[in-house]
Amino acid sequence: MNTKRDLLVLFALAGWALAVPHYGSEFAISMALTCLMYVALSSSWSLFCGTTRYLSLATSAFFGIGAYTSALLLESQGWWVAIALGALIAAAVAVVMGAAVLHLRGTYFAVLTFGMTELIRHAITYWEKQVTGTVGRVLVVVPERDTVYLTVLALAVLAILVSILVRRSRFGLAMQGIGADEQRAQTLGVNTRLVKIGGFAMTAAFAGAVGAAMSVRWTYIDPATVFNPFIGFQTVLIALIGGVATLWGPLIAAVVFSLLAETLRLQLPQLYMMALGLLLILSVLYLPGGLASLRRETFTMWRDDIRGWWRELRRDKTKKEAAA
Amino acid sequence: MNGHPLLEARGVTVRFGGLTAVDNVSAAFAPGELVGIIGPNGAGKTTFFNALSGVVEPTSGELFAGGSRLTGAKPHRFAQQGIARTFQTPRVFAELSVAANIDFGLQFAGRQRSGSWLLKDEASILNLIGLAAQASLPAAAITPSQQRLLEIGMALATRPKLLLLDEVAAGLTESEIEAMAQLIRRLRDDLDLTVIWIEHAVTTLLRHVERVLVLHQGRKIADGTPAEVVRNAEVVEAYLGDEMVEAA
Repeated sequence: MNTKRDLLVLFALAGWALAVPHYGSEFAISMALTCLMYVALSSSWSLFCGTTRYLSLATSAFFGIGAYTSALLLESQGWWVAIALGALIAAAVAVVMGAAVLHLRGTYFAVLTFGMTELIRHAITYWEKQVTGTVGRVLVVVPERDTVYLTVLALAVLAILVSILVRRSRFGLAMQGIGADEQRAQTLGVNTRLVKIGGFAMTAAFAGAVGAAMSVRWTYIDPATVFNPFIGFQTVLIALIGGVATLWGPLIAAVVFSLLAETLRLQLPQLYMMALGLLLILSVLYLPGGLASLRRETFTMWRDDIRGWWRELRRDKTKKEAAA
Repeated sequence: MNGHPLLEARGVTVRFGGLTAVDNVSAAFAPGELVGIIGPNGAGKTTFFNALSGVVEPTSGELFAGGSRLTGAKPHRFAQQGIARTFQTPRVFAELSVAANIDFGLQFAGRQRSGSWLLKDEASILNLIGLAAQASLPAAAITPSQQRLLEIGMALATRPKLLLLDEVAAGLTESEIEAMAQLIRRLRDDLDLTVIWIEHAVTTLLRHVERVLVLHQGRKIADGTPAEVVRNAEVVEAYLGDEMVEAA
């Protein structure tokens, strides 16, 4: 792993993204913002879920918690306070949630994180209806567009920066060990429970911060918008298609997705969902390492596979003809 | 060691549902001992190891390491206390390189102790287990018998005081078994490790250890020198044949 190269690529990309608000159209900026949001969400998701193979579907819970935090705080507090608290509260919720479900693996873990996300969404809906008597919140104090853009950009850069650093750390090694063989890692001295809860909270903090920053894009938020499970699913899909074990996979896939989303969603929403599904199926079947694992050899391998398959098909056909 | 045994099990029982895999076993292991555990299939040897390393929690009974209570602790606490183990089927990190597999233990449980100079770093451990030439290969690419050595190397990287070896010689050729036995002796002699060794090949084991525990249907039926154990009527009846008496 070449850290220096990774850092250079990161700063080059960040510099380019930094320039977008100055020359880009309104449409381009909005597209870049969506893209950066998913870069931050998927990269931080892979950081924990990709390396440990604990597939969490709770991203939308943390995103929603962050969004609500900033919606409630922005009237009285500053922008950065709202972002920081969004991250902090999401992380705190993740610690509690993690302590409850991180001893489960595989499907059970995935289903329970999803269940808890729904629970949080419905709890907030109920609370809004019963206690505050509203079904949503109108955001009155909203920072400038560029502030939001730069914040989300900073979060995306931070997510990748943290991924680079964690990969080189003992914490990263411990997570890698958990992903490969949790019990073996334990017998070699890893306090797996602590590492898992820490990693889960870190992922949640990013999702919370992104949620806090993005909530101002909507002038009116309600639980259905900010706890939309689609945000969580899309994060997972992007990470899987890009390559959960890779550093740049989530970023590559996030770019592909945002382009797809913005070009197709408005005109052909069904086609967009179909493209998503198809891409996932293809990547799981033929590219388990994700888009980031694509190499020239991958293409030659596919070509050889197809040739072999074609030859076999022809041989079968001639055999059948001979038999007939 | 202030008079405490390195590791002590008091009345350890492990039950899985209605099955009692380990039944009220007590045993103490002193520093520098080389102990074998034998018993027929299903005697509870591996389950006993799992209890000794924290992988399963005993249903009842107590575990102490150097006088501190470890009952109910997670495996990483056992590793921190200097209890390392191997698994019957090697559980190496297949995607990591051989060297990185060794490094793992050094980064975690091995970090708190300095250990012998033979366990100084990755290179010295690789030399000790004889895998220096394979250091940069992925662990999935080496042969099964090399993986077995790597499994021992990973455990050694935690710089342990006590090493639990679960059938490390299974499936090896005659000469590989001999080499393995030499390595195990060396770990004890040069590193002052306490070694507890489970093996199915009883003859090999009896030749190399100084003390044997015999488990049968989860119970400990004998504990003594190989010569004593093979003459024990209960042991012979339980599963040893006459050939074992000859071997000892």
